[in-house]
Amino acid sequence: MTGDHDESKRVLRAEDDGLLDGTHRFIDDLEPRGTLHLAMVRSPVAHARVLSIDTAAAGAMPGVHAVLTGRDIAQHASPTPIGWNHIAGQRQTQSLAMATDKVRYVGHIVAAVVAATRAAAEDAVEAVEIEYDLLPAVMDLDAARRDDAPLLHESWPDNVLAVDQHSSGEGRAALASASTIVDLELTIGRAFGCPLETRGVIADWGLAGPGMGNRSGSVGRLVVDLNSQSPNRVREVLAQVLGVSVSDILVRVPAIGGGFGAKANYYGEEIITSIASKVCGRPVKYIEDRYESFVATSHAREAHLSVSIGAESDGTVVAFRNDVVGTLGGEVSSVGMGPVWVSTRAGIGSYQVPNADITTTGVMTNRTPFGSFRGWGSPIANFGIERAIDALANQLSVDPVELRLKNMVRPDQMPFPNGLGWRLDSGDYPEALRRARSSVTDAGWFDEVDGARADGRFVGVGFANFVEATGVGNSRKMGALPMEQGGFDEAVVRMDSTGTVQVFTGQTAMGQGIETTLAQVCALELGATLDDVRVLFGDTDSCPYTGYGTGGCRTAPVAGSSVTLASRDLRAQVLDVASSLLGVPVADLTISDSTVFAGTPFESAGEHVTFADIGMAAYRKLNRLPEHHSPTLHARAVWDPVDRTIGYGSVAVMVEVCADTGITTVLRYHAVDDCGYVVNPAIVDGQIMGAFAQVLGSSLMEELRYDDDGNPLTTTFRDYLVPLAGDVPPMTIEHMESLPPDVPSGSKGVGEAGTISAMSAIAQAVEHALPGGYGWIRSIPLNPETLLSRINASRPQLPVSS
Amino acid sequence: MKGDDTHRLSMSVNGRRVVIEVEPRTTLADALREQCGLTGTKVGCEQGSCGACTVMHDGQQIRSCLMFAVQAQDAEVWTIEGLSNPPAGQQASELPLPKLPDLASALKRNHGLQCGFCTPGMLIAGAALGHAASGRLDDAEIREGLSGNICRCTGYQGIVQSIAETFRAESTDSEAPS
Repeated sequence: MTGDHDESKRVLRAEDDGLLDGTHRFIDDLEPRGTLHLAMVRSPVAHARVLSIDTAAAGAMPGVHAVLTGRDIAQHASPTPIGWNHIAGQRQTQSLAMATDKVRYVGHIVAAVVAATRAAAEDAVEAVEIEYDLLPAVMDLDAARRDDAPLLHESWPDNVLAVDQHSSGEGRAALASASTIVDLELTIGRAFGCPLETRGVIADWGLAGPGMGNRSGSVGRLVVDLNSQSPNRVREVLAQVLGVSVSDILVRVPAIGGGFGAKANYYGEEIITSIASKVCGRPVKYIEDRYESFVATSHAREAHLSVSIGAESDGTVVAFRNDVVGTLGGEVSSVGMGPVWVSTRAGIGSYQVPNADITTTGVMTNRTPFGSFRGWGSPIANFGIERAIDALANQLSVDPVELRLKNMVRPDQMPFPNGLGWRLDSGDYPEALRRARSSVTDAGWFDEVDGARADGRFVGVGFANFVEATGVGNSRKMGALPMEQGGFDEAVVRMDSTGTVQVFTGQTAMGQGIETTLAQVCALELGATLDDVRVLFGDTDSCPYTGYGTGGCRTAPVAGSSVTLASRDLRAQVLDVASSLLGVPVADLTISDSTVFAGTPFESAGEHVTFADIGMAAYRKLNRLPEHHSPTLHARAVWDPVDRTIGYGSVAVMVEVCADTGITTVLRYHAVDDCGYVVNPAIVDGQIMGAFAQVLGSSLMEELRYDDDGNPLTTTFRDYLVPLAGDVPPMTIEHMESLPPDVPSGSKGVGEAGTISAMSAIAQAVEHALPGGYGWIRSIPLNPETLLSRINASRPQLPVSS
Repeated sequence: MKGDDTHRLSMSVNGRRVVIEVEPRTTLADALREQCGLTGTKVGCEQGSCGACTVMHDGQQIRSCLMFAVQAQDAEVWTIEGLSNPPAGQQASELPLPKLPDLASALKRNHGLQCGFCTPGMLIAGAALGHAASGRLDDAEIREGLSGNICRCTGYQGIVQSIAETFRAESTDSEAPS
């Protein structure tokens, strides 16, 4: 296990040139000839029956081609399935892509206008007349669960989507035997991925065309351009909902302007736009505007946690319980209550807790649906266990870092079943925390804190640990969960007649650099020069299938492994041809820089063939190809993860709380991260830093808020404050590199790692900065007024006269 | 407000004269993207908050989503396409932001972009900031100077570093004896 110092892996990104000069095409930069534009009519109220919709005036406006209502959608589409529909007793919805009889949140789609221009469509949206019969908005978790609460889904007996419970050992009963018990009620605010590029789709349901097969009289092929992280999932859902075969849908993905889980979910908008194209016989384009992104793109995180932790007098944790209630929205998103449920597996984090008991409950409210955001449910679970340990440290009057070290899973225990269904597979968890502490000590953080305090400033340092389950699989276990979704990944690697290599992947690029990373993985395994490798993606016809899409930190561990295996296969083919061309046994060949040498590159002057020579033999000069080798150089591999592989690490932050305003600023950030084999250090560090910045936002600045009637109060960047350059501190990262067992690429995922413990570390740092010990911060985002009152209460009273 | 009447707009875009018909309500961002075909200018919020649509207008960086196209009558507008690749017959030094290509190289070197959606606006804002400051920027000034541009991917560190490298190098050069 060593730190990563191989600077040669820090290659520049293949993606960048076209992004820097503005030539890469994002979804809104595309527009086939004849495209019509769609604008949504969205509910302005949180909860109401739809009594009538009058589209006559809108339909008569200039340039308008169609006005679609839920009734129209119902003629073409069946209800949208839920991907994470896996909890026993989970209530079922029969919701269409568009509301029919009832709206359940502000932003719920009620109608859609298709017109010659976006402006004409928006003009006509204003003219659609809808009569609503208002119902009481259900916004509060307790009110939603009262017996007399208005029902959001009237076929259900209550407003609870599902409850799931998981325990280990004696569960919560073991709390009774602990010598110390601490109870906490915690809340986490609503936040979301908020990519800078909003969602968008262009659907072209042509009447005829190539690839249709011999089917007379049927509707033609549906081509969907969509900025989705999960093109294969979208393709399957569209096929299911629209009643066509998967092969009759092509999903293409252009450059994506950030995903962060928000674009991993599938949505009604792509279904509605596809139907609009069918109805109008033209390509139809829909681009979400910024307001819509705040009310229609999946929300996340909001939850209430009731936590108890029990320990022996020496600080050994013996029991933990966490009852997590997630604040879902008015409809069920494509991931159900998965991000809430995952606490049942992730709930005890990096620690060995012999008796744990986690319940998760999803409660429907009249808010925008709750779905994926980078980290999924792990930050929720992390806040519960890390806050509990801080409160326990306070109760026992011990250092919170030492208490963590005492209870963390040790390297000699690996692989460690956590008792809740996760196998912590590899690594040295305590070492990560010790390194974080020693690194920031050596960097002078505590001297800086002392200096600041001497000046009367409120500055502190906080630490937190995390684990993250990455590389979601195994597919058979997912099927048994039960899910109708695999976690495997298929890769195809080809060499052409000039020796250039193409890697085809079903993964999606959204800024995380897979065009570079997967090329590096292939080049390393194959022995190719990096410049000779191209990565192709974003087209469900030409690229292979990946079940789950690009989410759950799957690219490096899962796609990296399928690319490794396919490249290994191609390498064997290359060596086989080279052996014949050179007349040297395969065992005596080496590959370096796209050249196969007899012996080693140093001892074999002249005796070598290039990949171009090999490609020529396999495609064009076939007399050179060995008899047993079929023409072409083409390898395919499918990797189905044996299990999740668990990334982990520890982070440190230094914060200052302003004595005048109570506003918290993060001054420094340091992470010790272990994601296994680091393919490209610059890209990995960029993922960790960007993820941290996002959760710095949801810890201090970002919160999606509503009034009591369900009106959203945060619908612009002026009230939903994402971090700007001045809000984010200088960041440093060091790596440990423990190779996971049974992952061919040697990598664990890392894209979400930076999100998971950020809230916990910031909370502890603020407590370190202020008087009052640890564990008293119970809600995120931090409230400056609360912090200010704590500062003021701690100040010596000024004398009445001086 | 509706677009029954259109106006003839004449302006210079990336060194070329452009004449287009626009509705009074058409924003400069939409005119550049939809009628001039210059999609490098991104639209992130249409509220002037995110900075993705930043372009140069008569030598000043502006939010093209906050300006109506008709307000650009006779103006000299430069977008990321022109600022990145000087038009034939022109040198980068003659453009409004001569060091923008250097800043672009620095962003690539320092992993100062991920998804790239904010990047054209960030490049123009960063280059304008550096240009105006003529090499006297510290990190805090850079971070403050970028407060009109949102990047949701990188955490800004590579961007700040790139602006510092690009424009501090200039100050070092200018202090060197020539």
